Amino acid sequence: MAMRFFDQQIAARRRSRRLTLAFALAVAATVVGMHVVLMLPWLLLRWFLQAPLGYPLGFMPVNLLAATGLILGGWWLERSHLARGGVALAERLGARPARPETRFEEERLVHVVSEICTAAHMPRPRVMVLPRHPGINAFAAGFEPADWALAVSDGALEQLTRAELQGLVAHECSHLKEGDTRLNMQLISMVSGLQMIWGFGRSLLPDSDTGRTSQGERGMSLHDLTWIAGIPIMAAGYVGWLAGRILQAAVSREREYLADARAVQWTRSADSLGGTLRKLMTQQHEAGSERLQPGHLKLAAHLFLVADDGRWPLPDGRNASRQPWLASHPLLADRVRRIYGRPRGPLPLQRMDPRTGLPAGADRAAAAPRR
Amino acid sequence: MTTVTVQWIVIAVVAGGLVWAVACYNRLVALRNRIVNAFAQIDVQLKRRHDLIPNLVDVARRYLTHEQATLQAVIEARGQAQGAAARARAQPTDAGAVGLLAVAEQVLTEHVGRLLAIAEAYPELKADATLRQLSEQLTSTENHIGFARQAYNDAVLDLNNKVQAFPDLLVAHLTGFSLAQPLKSTATAAERAVPRIDL
Repeated sequence: MAMRFFDQQIAARRRSRRLTLAFALAVAATVVGMHVVLMLPWLLLRWFLQAPLGYPLGFMPVNLLAATGLILGGWWLERSHLARGGVALAERLGARPARPETRFEEERLVHVVSEICTAAHMPRPRVMVLPRHPGINAFAAGFEPADWALAVSDGALEQLTRAELQGLVAHECSHLKEGDTRLNMQLISMVSGLQMIWGFGRSLLPDSDTGRTSQGERGMSLHDLTWIAGIPIMAAGYVGWLAGRILQAAVSREREYLADARAVQWTRSADSLGGTLRKLMTQQHEAGSERLQPGHLKLAAHLFLVADDGRWPLPDGRNASRQPWLASHPLLADRVRRIYGRPRGPLPLQRMDPRTGLPAGADRAAAAPRR
Repeated sequence: MTTVTVQWIVIAVVAGGLVWAVACYNRLVALRNRIVNAFAQIDVQLKRRHDLIPNLVDVARRYLTHEQATLQAVIEARGQAQGAAARARAQPTDAGAVGLLAVAEQVLTEHVGRLLAIAEAYPELKADATLRQLSEQLTSTENHIGFARQAYNDAVLDLNNKVQAFPDLLVAHLTGFSLAQPLKSTATAAERAVPRIDL
C-alpha cells in the first residue's frame, strides 16, 4: 500500500500544532505552579505556629514575576546560543561547502539538491558536506532562506544510490521549508528556561554555596530554612522541565514524520527515503549505541536525520538508557513502516560506484538481521 | 440591546468579513502565481536540456563512428523540440502548441535514451570522464523536468483545493478564479499503452 502522504502531512501538522499549544500551557502551568508550591511552606508555617499569618505583601505577583523572569531569562540565554545562524552553525558542526568540481559525488549532490528544490518550489540552501563522517547522516540549519544550509555526510554520498540521496535531501529540505529549525530552536530555548526554575530551587538547598533568602521567614536563621522553599520550587521546576522536554520531543517527532511524508511527496517514491532509512537500520544495528552525530553539540540533535538522544534528564548527565518519549526522532522501524505501509527489513550497507549506481567492488554488506 | 449596539455589531461583522475576503483573495493570487512560475520552470529546464545535447553528441561522435544514424536522429529530434518550444513560448495559452511541444520532447527523450543505452556497449566511451559528467547532467536535467512538471501539478492541486472549498469558493467566483488544469504526461490512449523496448 502506498503512503498517503498528503493525509499524513495534514495529520502531522495538526498533531504538532496541538502539542505546541500543550507546551505553551505547560509553561504557563509551571509559572502558576511555582506560586502554588510556595504557598505550601507558608501554609505549613501557619499550621505549625497556629497563628493566622497573612501572606506577605505582593506574594503572588512576586512569585509569578520571578517564575516568568527565570523562564524568559533561560529562554533568551539559550536562544542567543542557538540562533547564531545556519551556515555558521553548520561549520561549527564540522561541515564545509560542497566542491562539485573536485569530486563526482559532490557534483551529484549539488544537482540533487537543485532538483529537489525545483520539486519543492523553494530557494536553494547552501550545499555542504560533512567530511570524514563515515556514517549516513545529514542535517539542515538556518532560519531564513538566505542562511539555509544543508549538509550531507561523506558516508551518505558514498553509500546511497542517487534515488536514496534524493529522499535524504528531500527530508532535510522539508525541515527548512516548514520552519522546523526555528520551531525546535524556540522550544529548546523554552525548555532551558523551565530548567532555570529547577536550578533556582536547587540553589536554595543547604549544600549549595549561594545562600539565598526565602520568601520572608521569621524568627529563625534565614540560611537554615531556605530549603523549605527550595524543595517545592525544585519539584515544580522539575515537573515543568520534564513536561517541557517530553512535549518538545513529541513535537520534534511529529515534524520528523511530516518531513518523511513531504519527502515521499516530492520524490513520489517510497524507495527513495525508505531505502535510506533501511540502510540506516543496518548502520544503527552495527554501531550499537554509538553516536551518529558529532557529540559536542548535543543540542543540535534535532537537526539531524537520525539522532541517538532521548536520555532521561538526570542532573549528573549519567548515560541512562534511551526513552522513546524523550527522543527527538521516532524509531527507524516506525518511520519505515509509515512510508511503506508495512514493516520492512534493513538494507545492507555498500559503497556505491557513482558511475553505474551499483555496489562497488569493496563490499561492506553486513549480515543484516531480517525482520 | 439597543439599536446602536446592534449597529456596531453588524459593522464589526461586515468589516471582519471584508478583511477575511481580502486575505482569501491574496492567497488565491499567490497560488495562481505559483502555477505561472512553475510553468516557467519547466521551460527553463527544457532549454537546459536542449543546450546539453550537442555536447553529448560531440563526445559520443568521437567513439561511436558506426552509429552515425543514431547521432543524426538525436540532432534532428533536438532541432524539432527547439522549434516546438519556441512556438509554445510565443503562444503559451495555445493548447495545440503545448501539445506538440510535449510530443517533440517525448521523441527527444526516446532518442537520447537510445543513445545512452548504446553508449553502454562501448567501454572507452563509458570510461570517458566528460561523458560521465554529461550523462549526470542530462540525468539531472531529466529529473528537473520531471520535478518541474510535478511541482506545476502540485501547485494546480493547491489552487484547485482552495477554489473549490467553501467558503473560499465564494471569493474565487466573485473575482474570476477558475480551476487550473494539471499537465498530462500522456496525450493519447496509444501513449498510455506500455511501450515496447526496441533496441
